[in-house]
Amino acid sequence: MTDVTFVKDKHIQYVIEQDSHRSFEYWLSEHLRMNGLYWGITTLATINSLDALPKAEVIDFILSCWDDKSGGFGSFPKHDSHILSTLSALQVLRIYDNELTMISSEKRTKLVKFIKELQLPDGSFQGDRFGEVDTRFVYTAISALSLLDELTKEIADPAVDFIMKCRNFDGSFGMVPGAESHAAQVFVCVGTLAITDNLHLINQDIKLASWLSERQVLPSGGFNGRPEKLPDVCYSWWVLSSLAILNKKHWVDLEKLEGFILSAQDLKEGGISDRPDNATDIYHTCFGITGLSLIDWKKYNFKEIDPIYCMPVEVTKNFKKWKNLSS
Amino acid sequence: MQHNVKRVNISAELKKLKLEKDQLKIKRYQELTAKLFDLRDNNTYTQDAFNETTTLLLMNPEFYTVWNYRREILSNIYKPVGANVDDYAQVLNDELQLVLQQLKKFPKCYWIWNHRRWCLFELVALHRVNWMYEFAVVSKLLELDQRNFHGWQYRRFIVENIEKESVAKDPSHEKVILLKIKLDEFDYTTTKVQSDFSNFSAWHNRGNLIPKIYKLVHEIEVPAEFKERVKLFDNPYDILIHELDMIKTGIYMSPEDTSIWSYYNWLLTDDFFTKAYSKEEYLKVLHNQLEVISEVNELEKEDNGQDNIWCLKSIIFTKTLINKQQRGEVLTDEIKSYLKILIKIDPLRKGKYEDQLRGVVGIV
Repeated sequence: MTDVTFVKDKHIQYVIEQDSHRSFEYWLSEHLRMNGLYWGITTLATINSLDALPKAEVIDFILSCWDDKSGGFGSFPKHDSHILSTLSALQVLRIYDNELTMISSEKRTKLVKFIKELQLPDGSFQGDRFGEVDTRFVYTAISALSLLDELTKEIADPAVDFIMKCRNFDGSFGMVPGAESHAAQVFVCVGTLAITDNLHLINQDIKLASWLSERQVLPSGGFNGRPEKLPDVCYSWWVLSSLAILNKKHWVDLEKLEGFILSAQDLKEGGISDRPDNATDIYHTCFGITGLSLIDWKKYNFKEIDPIYCMPVEVTKNFKKWKNLSS
Repeated sequence: MQHNVKRVNISAELKKLKLEKDQLKIKRYQELTAKLFDLRDNNTYTQDAFNETTTLLLMNPEFYTVWNYRREILSNIYKPVGANVDDYAQVLNDELQLVLQQLKKFPKCYWIWNHRRWCLFELVALHRVNWMYEFAVVSKLLELDQRNFHGWQYRRFIVENIEKESVAKDPSHEKVILLKIKLDEFDYTTTKVQSDFSNFSAWHNRGNLIPKIYKLVHEIEVPAEFKERVKLFDNPYDILIHELDMIKTGIYMSPEDTSIWSYYNWLLTDDFFTKAYSKEEYLKVLHNQLEVISEVNELEKEDNGQDNIWCLKSIIFTKTLINKQQRGEVLTDEIKSYLKILIKIDPLRKGKYEDQLRGVVGIV
């Protein structure tokens, strides 16, 4: 058993104060603000404290990031749309409102068009019109379409073909075909396969689950992202969610992982860092806490987190995903 | 996202002090940001606006919207019909210099790598790209950080483009050209793994190159100058023996190294190898490997008083492959007894071994 406690109240305070410590570094991170908001809101939702931030203000902020020219959300007002900030915006909005009533049907049409047009002939997705391709964007696009209940086979099938081209000889996945396996890319690839009901493509052997279970290292009990690299709290999410999707959470030592996450908390100021005694940030705080939810949400009196969407199950259970089912 | 930054708990007073000190910087940053957004709203594509984006991007290389604006300015000034190609090529090359300086400081920033790619394709359109220079750049960057994810990906991207360009120049020798380039890349991975067996990024590339080189060697009449270098690629069996011999040193030196074992598993199970020789040959290889690993395990036992986790896993793996070949039972009493030892000495993955013991999942 681990002897470090979970300092819930400090973490709530930490999330609330994200927006008030407006140091120079805060302004430099505008390009990540929408993702940051998603990390903060997911943290709060998971620990049953969504009310700690003013709902109306959060929604207003998100809507102020709408980029009407391209039909997606940017990371901050006047910033360009990108698939990453668009998914984050939709996730937060749907956490607040299952019907997404704040998005007009006109916006909704534009959104679907924006996302679909990012798909390239080989099934992959670019992040925006400037051409960067990465399995991250495939997941992000597929996840966004599915939470709009707008996913279609025409979009999903080629995307899945692309994902499978990114599988490596170690059973794991990389960012593009030929790229080295990496745990965060595994999450996006397995997540895409799970959303599109294609897990049978990777369930024939134990290679992938074995690779994932080998990410847990001693003495810390934390997960690394690639062989022979240092452990990092964020992989608690990327690796454990993938294992959860594959029904193999028990292939790692959950108690040791729990200890590692808890030991990376800043007990005085709240927040969680990549490794114990390092500087905290909202990204590691989110993935540490969602990791704890995957480990044992009941014990912490958290909300159960969906390993496929990284959102509370009570939200994702309403997803219809496919377009033809939603009409 | 902060990685590898030590936590410092500063007092409220110091925080306030920092905030006060920051005010000037923040003001300048915000004014510049606002100014650039205004300029963009007014479709301003001028050298002055371009220079302002430089200032802002030096302050914040993650500001993707400003990179986008910068690209719009470049396209608008230099791409119209009649614009001077030399001027644009010069500007793009300057751009590559700026990006390189930033990459040295922020080697993990996606937006910078992205902008570099964009510039290169603009140069391609002008027929002015210098892929060999890029190749030198990425080689240097990989020297600084052997496992940089972006660096390795960028190297593959550059090599792919060098291949395309070289083939376009001399299409009748396509396969010879590709062979030479891939052999050079293969040699590069040899150097990398020999200097550090743990460099899985290099093993990964090596594993991907082998079947491609083999295929090329057997599709063409190999020129005399390559004869010596391609000898190894005569048949998958020779490659297998060569590679197993190579990782043997690594196994003796550090049997805990997961990079080597991952490569080992591939060598012994991929169709490229297993379908290329007889069952007898395969079994002989497996038995030889079993001997090597058992010996290392015995040495480890003498030193540490217990089985080495990775040796034992690989003994199980290799024995199972043998059992499968002999069409015998896979979950033998011997394998079961090894799994039970693993449950004790590698308790992190206890659940996996228990599943294997119960026959819920396979062994390999």
